[in-house]
Amino acid sequence: MNSTEPIIKLQNVSKYFGRVCALKDVSLDVEPGKVVVIIGPSGSGKSTLLRCINHLEVESAGEVWVEGEHLNGNQKHLNSVRSGIGMVFQHFNLYPHLTALQNITLAQRIVRKIPQAQAEENARVQLKRVGIEHKADVYPGQLSGGQQQRVAIARALAMNPKIMLFDEPTSALDPEMIKEVLEVMLNLAKEGITMVVVTHEMGFARAAADEVVFMDAGQIIEKAAPEAFFNEPSNERTREFLSQILER
Amino acid sequence: MQKEMLSINHAAVDYPAFRERLKKQLGSFPWWLAALAAIAAGTFWLISTRESYNDAFTFIKAGLSVTITTTLIAYGISIIIGLVTSLGRISNNLILRNLATLYVEIIRGIPMMVLIFFIALVGVPAVMNLLKELGQWITSLGWVNAGNALISLKNDAIPMNTRAIVALAVTYGAFSAEIFRAGIQSIGKGQMEAARSQGMSYGQAMRYVILPQAIRNVLPALGNDFVSMLKDTSLVSVLAVRDITQIARLYAGRSFHYQEAYINLAVLYLSMTVILSFAVKFLEKRLQRDELN
Ligand SMILES: Nc1ncnc2c1ncn2[C@@H]1O[C@H](COP(=O)(O)OP(=O)(O)OP(=O)(O)O)[C@@H](O)[C@H]1O
Ligand SMILES: [Mg+2]
Repeated sequence: MNSTEPIIKLQNVSKYFGRVCALKDVSLDVEPGKVVVIIGPSGSGKSTLLRCINHLEVESAGEVWVEGEHLNGNQKHLNSVRSGIGMVFQHFNLYPHLTALQNITLAQRIVRKIPQAQAEENARVQLKRVGIEHKADVYPGQLSGGQQQRVAIARALAMNPKIMLFDEPTSALDPEMIKEVLEVMLNLAKEGITMVVVTHEMGFARAAADEVVFMDAGQIIEKAAPEAFFNEPSNERTREFLSQILER
Repeated sequence: MQKEMLSINHAAVDYPAFRERLKKQLGSFPWWLAALAAIAAGTFWLISTRESYNDAFTFIKAGLSVTITTTLIAYGISIIIGLVTSLGRISNNLILRNLATLYVEIIRGIPMMVLIFFIALVGVPAVMNLLKELGQWITSLGWVNAGNALISLKNDAIPMNTRAIVALAVTYGAFSAEIFRAGIQSIGKGQMEAARSQGMSYGQAMRYVILPQAIRNVLPALGNDFVSMLKDTSLVSVLAVRDITQIARLYAGRSFHYQEAYINLAVLYLSMTVILSFAVKFLEKRLQRDELN
């Protein structure tokens, strides 16, 4: 695969939930190492788009390609592709019955078959990367929201992903904790991991994004580099949305 | 009373406060438990002082081992049946899901006594016949030894004790399936998603992420089921299995000492269930405390 070929490719993807159309004919290419930020009003299909990328949702029409491979229904193939795509959720979704360290080693051991000792070593490296190596043996319930989200990021990173998906990773956090998570994400962006981030943190978008995508009603309305996107949005709806969130 | 209480409040000995405290303590004291203990003590006294009670007790307690082993084995099997069935109930596979639901609904719709008769006297022989036919088929395929082993099975080779255990296990399997299902469904969707997003298969996610949490949540409910199972083993006396109920019936019928037989029997069950219930409550408290950490 040559480097300008997209690592994620959505081709005319549509997704219906019953009669609700969550995605309507969406096409999007993401090149390796790029950071794409997706914004848009609630219900516009941002989460659904992310979830189609790692097939947590199966598209109703169109095609999804990841690393040049077409994702079809084959479960084994799907699991192996998914293990190379990290996902970070709004509500962290850490495994509450496991310590931070065990949260990070579990999938390494049972998906990747990495020996316990090696998985632990890697887990500690990842915890250090997100700045909470001292919380290795603590259960999620004893961590602050910001710390939990950083453990969740470490958990995803431990699988050595080429792609990281973030679905509103800071929306459930108290303001004082947002920064610590965004910092970790900024560092990842600099390291050159491909990232697709749904967020309303415009500061992050300006600082880290290569491309900002605005979605509304299941469609991609506008797509541009952050400079252009924020300074001279071409679409009326984008302008409206931006003025709404920048007011806050 | 109120006024008086306020006026002596600063007296050297604080009688009203003491009275209030006493009232509160007496109010929260588990009198019922004391009464239960008194009943047990009374029965014990009867057994140790009256020969007729002593006779009855000695006779009946011979059935304890049957009651206890039946409970333990049937419960163990029912847990396995329940776990498998609950996974079927929530499965995306149409056939598995419907089979599991059918099983649960059948069991829930039939009185337990009828189920015990049916499973022990109709179900088990039917399965035996099926095995024999399977034996014939295997023989016709050429595996004569394996086939003959199956054909030579006899219906009455399965003792009533075993049939009783099967009947209880199959019945309670449906109950614990519902408990497990509730437990699994109480775990947020995000857990399965997180596990799947890391590349775990559905089975791996169940085994390592969902079930450990779900089972922990339903431990108290499973404990209560165990207590119910202990009581419901009394039903197997209808199969002439010699548990404590059956033996007490035999004793009463033979000696006409109904009072002695049934007081002993009732207190025996009561002691076991009360102790077990306390164990379950203790477990529940422990889990809640762990949860807070
Ligand atoms: N599992 C589902 N079943 C039914 N409808 C769904 C499901 N998931 C999403 N939808 C619908 O699809 C549409 C898009 O949802 P999606 O979650 O992708 O929006 P979103 O842009 O992420 O919104 P938010 O900012 O609120 O997270 C919404 O109308 C939503 O109600
Ligand atoms: Mg969303």
